[in-house]
Amino acid sequence: MFLRGISINACPVNNLFEAMLFVCWGLVVACLALGISSRLRFIAAFASPLLFAMGVFALMPALDTVPTGAPQFSGWLVSIHAAMILLAYGAFGMAAVSAIMFLTQDHNLKLKKLSAVLSVMPPIQRLERVSSGLVVAGFVMLTLGLLAGAGLPRPEGLSYFADVKVKWSALLWFAYCAVILCRWRFDLAGRHFAYAVAGVFTFLLLTFWGTNLLSSLHNP
Amino acid sequence: MIVALGLSHHSSPVELRERFAFAESRIPEALQILRRSGNIEEAVILSTCNRVEIYAVAGDSDASRGFSTVREFLSEFHKHEAPHGPEFYTLTEPDSLRHLFRVAAGLDSMVMGETEILGQLKQAYQVALENGHTGARLNRAFQRAFQAAKQIRTETKIQRGCVSVASAAVGLAEHIFNSLADQEVLVIGAGDTSEKTARALLSRGARGVVVANRTGERSEALAATLGGRAIPFENWELEMERLDIVISSTSSPGYVLDRARLEPILKRRHGRALLLIDIAVPRDIDPSINLLDSVYLYNVDDLQGIADDSLRQRREEIERCEAIISDRLQGLLVAHSLREGGLFFQDAPTRA
Repeated sequence: MFLRGISINACPVNNLFEAMLFVCWGLVVACLALGISSRLRFIAAFASPLLFAMGVFALMPALDTVPTGAPQFSGWLVSIHAAMILLAYGAFGMAAVSAIMFLTQDHNLKLKKLSAVLSVMPPIQRLERVSSGLVVAGFVMLTLGLLAGAGLPRPEGLSYFADVKVKWSALLWFAYCAVILCRWRFDLAGRHFAYAVAGVFTFLLLTFWGTNLLSSLHNP
Repeated sequence: MIVALGLSHHSSPVELRERFAFAESRIPEALQILRRSGNIEEAVILSTCNRVEIYAVAGDSDASRGFSTVREFLSEFHKHEAPHGPEFYTLTEPDSLRHLFRVAAGLDSMVMGETEILGQLKQAYQVALENGHTGARLNRAFQRAFQAAKQIRTETKIQRGCVSVASAAVGLAEHIFNSLADQEVLVIGAGDTSEKTARALLSRGARGVVVANRTGERSEALAATLGGRAIPFENWELEMERLDIVISSTSSPGYVLDRARLEPILKRRHGRALLLIDIAVPRDIDPSINLLDSVYLYNVDDLQGIADDSLRQRREEIERCEAIISDRLQGLLVAHSLREGGLFFQDAPTRA
């Protein structure tokens, strides 16, 4: 990623392969940062299958396309836009991993299984706090990324809000905004919060590729 | 020859064990008296609430002389005749060494697999070592026993889980709350098990205890014992809005807490997790409460079930622990016989 970034003199997020790798990198950085606390280190075990699946997906043929001609957009604002949004996806991914860990442990505790007491997972209260913190961090990065995108020069003949990816990003922004507002104002917590975080990220994972392909702005 | 003799919770009641217990400060003096007899070359005294044991190196030819020396020493030191029955066990090699290894690993403990005994054994060995009462034989045996205990702790599940109702409650609390240091415990009703559970939570770092009981004096007494505070029984609902761990053990014939009563409290708690431990029989808390989000309800059977499952799992591990001990013991005995024959100066290797 570093060498590619040097060669194109920009953040290496110009195609789906690079974008996926950048998200994986973001997730690994988050895992390593959270792993400073020994009781959160186990989060990496849950993140590994997600990282593996994303890595395999990134290796699919035709994802690493070589851009033809000069890029439509260039400059630091594009790098900020792409990097912020992909790091936000990484934060949302880690929040979803924490939420799934929460749901697993909550299920074991509710059913009074011995595994709930023998588990090496962090306590559910900590998982909920981590998940909540990562959603807020991801939301801030997503907002900054979208604002950076809005500041880019408009291509002739194309309307931003007619683009599928822009509409999808706005929908994602509203979804996470709703999760944060519900938690803040309406005590969305525990299982319901975890389902919401995991659900929105599942939507993100399942629709990310499709909307990218349909977008004339992001997949010219 | 290494011999082991003494009394433990398996062989004798506490009334007998306490007569032969050694005060920590008197152990160096006791070791000196024991070795002064001339029949004991090396010795370690282990004295805990569950066992009084002496590990000693007696003359190789006659272990019985070593046993009688130690027996006389015990009778004289404690001014009480040492028993001759099965309550006072005497072991010779290799049983004495196997016993030492089992004690170090917690396999001979009242709570199987507990780790406190290893610390106590290390302390007993250290006292003997520092006062010059151990030599090559006991040093090697104790070092091997500590290594075996470490291997057992890392390679088996003998120390995992919670084997009592109180420890199961602590285990649950530790898997729910970020830190027990932030938690105060509300005790409704003042029973014996609720006291033990509250005490276990306090020992693991809980910040304090609030006691609500219908009888004010009992409430005050329990609060004083646990270093907490007593509140009028009617105020427990108010406290539940603030506190996250509740132990209930009233003698009420019906439910003290049901969904209709809890749901308004939960709204005021803003989604914080709540651990309810219902130790009362008949039960104090409506079991359907467990269906509510962020509420974890355990009754005494649930906690006992967790403790029983843990104990079963520990028992299943015994075979693996015994295999490790046999392996380590074999290595020690082979090394010893080679050394006796003057063939090697290094310990014989053991299987990994």
